[in-house]
Amino acid sequence: MKKAMQLALGILTGVGGFLDVGNIATSAQAGAMFRFQLIWSLLLATLVVIFLTEMSGRFAAASKKALPDAIREHFGFSAWLPPFIILSIVHLLVLAAEIGGVCFALHLLTGLPIRLFALPVAILIWLFLWRATFSAIENSMSILGLITLCFVVAAIWHHPPAHEVLAGALPSMPSHDPARYWFIAVSIIGAVIAPFLFYFYSSGAIEDKWDRTYIPINRAIAVISMGFGSLISVSAIIVAAVVLAPRGIEITDYHQAAMLLTQAFPFWGYALFAVSMGVACLGAALEVALSMSYTFAQTFGWNWGEDLQPIEDARFSMVYTVALLIGSLFMVVGVDPLKLTVVTMATNAFVMPFITIPFLLLMNDRKLLRDASNGVISNTATVMIVILALILAVVSIPLTFLGKS
Amino acid sequence: MAQELDLIRDVLDKQLVDSDDTKMGRVDGIVLAIGDGAPQIDHFELGFSVLARRLHPRIEQWLQALRRWSPRRSARQIVPWSSVQEINVREIRLDLKAIDTPAFDWERWLRKHIVSRIPGSGEES
Repeated sequence: MKKAMQLALGILTGVGGFLDVGNIATSAQAGAMFRFQLIWSLLLATLVVIFLTEMSGRFAAASKKALPDAIREHFGFSAWLPPFIILSIVHLLVLAAEIGGVCFALHLLTGLPIRLFALPVAILIWLFLWRATFSAIENSMSILGLITLCFVVAAIWHHPPAHEVLAGALPSMPSHDPARYWFIAVSIIGAVIAPFLFYFYSSGAIEDKWDRTYIPINRAIAVISMGFGSLISVSAIIVAAVVLAPRGIEITDYHQAAMLLTQAFPFWGYALFAVSMGVACLGAALEVALSMSYTFAQTFGWNWGEDLQPIEDARFSMVYTVALLIGSLFMVVGVDPLKLTVVTMATNAFVMPFITIPFLLLMNDRKLLRDASNGVISNTATVMIVILALILAVVSIPLTFLGKS
Repeated sequence: MAQELDLIRDVLDKQLVDSDDTKMGRVDGIVLAIGDGAPQIDHFELGFSVLARRLHPRIEQWLQALRRWSPRRSARQIVPWSSVQEINVREIRLDLKAIDTPAFDWERWLRKHIVSRIPGSGEES
């Protein structure tokens, strides 16, 4: 019975937590410019994220260790330090982009300037982390996150041409703007396979005290929740393709994305978009900030846990406090939230090798995992994911300059 | 009793846990004593200066220069081999209390000067 609850909760968390600022921005851009043609990149990313999430959870359940913890131990401090520093910078950028998303949502609802909201939003996120337990954060954000299902409702309401949607599920060459096409494809993949996801998920499994009996549940959660979650992103592409593409709107500003739901929901489309975006980004910001604390604490062996009082893990609590302060400064000084998001998603794609390569080694550690080690299928998938990650890392930088807009 | 222990693979960088189940840091360095008989593990080293030395001795010097502003009494702490209780696949358990050791200098300083001054830190309970 408890396990069934865990399964339901895990799925809820995955669905409610799938969408974030990066998914909204890249899906809207993809649909507006290339209609249904880029759906394949989202499906590819979903397949990858299912494998990586399943492995992160299985690793944590079988070894009772979260990923950063195990990586420092396996690779040693000197080898882990450079990726640790790079990933921390990327985490900060993602956090800043998510804070930007919440600020923009509040700006849409109130009409007040974005930068005004930066510090209040950071303080709100901080208050959650300072006072709430891990499961309180997980549960409240997953329930609130279900509002993002309005994109699915809108996509069905629009009756998109089924054969075109299905055709988009297979990769094809673009008829125009190839650099932009590939840049958006890479950004979509970077937005779905966010680096913080796996450190957060595996640390969360430790917070929820998973053991080996959770391995089958973990598999179901990974497949079902990530599958449903990506349905929301696919819906956003479909809605953008139907609403924005015919009018020739290319997303260069979040205000244009805010029109996404106005046809399906004439009166409250704007507000619904704003609330969805605000909730999705708030949930993601909480996850990224926590991931930063998890990664720092595990790298240096500090005491950690969101269920402890801040006084019991002062260093852990100070990491997210400082990170939120720095992350909010981007909006305070007036960085454009969409530009920040787009660059950050390409950066996510660039750092993918650092995330994926450790899986190859860790998932085959028979001493830690015993019979929960990777089998032939998982290992083949991991090798292919690492190759994909290396390709993405190589192409992401030139594409950022060629295809940004 | 002759059990083999791979120092680099199974001991270095491993999580240290104290007698209260508090995570105390990691094995940042291992020091052997070479005397009359066979070499023996003398102690573990912990701390930022040990980590810096692993990267490059000069980085350790820079770190030492910064130490005048550090709340830590010393940037390096020693955990004698005699306090090791158990080494398992997940962690190394010690029979001392982290809060009483220099490993928690930063933690203690942050608790006292910053965290306890912010409402809701759990200090009062």
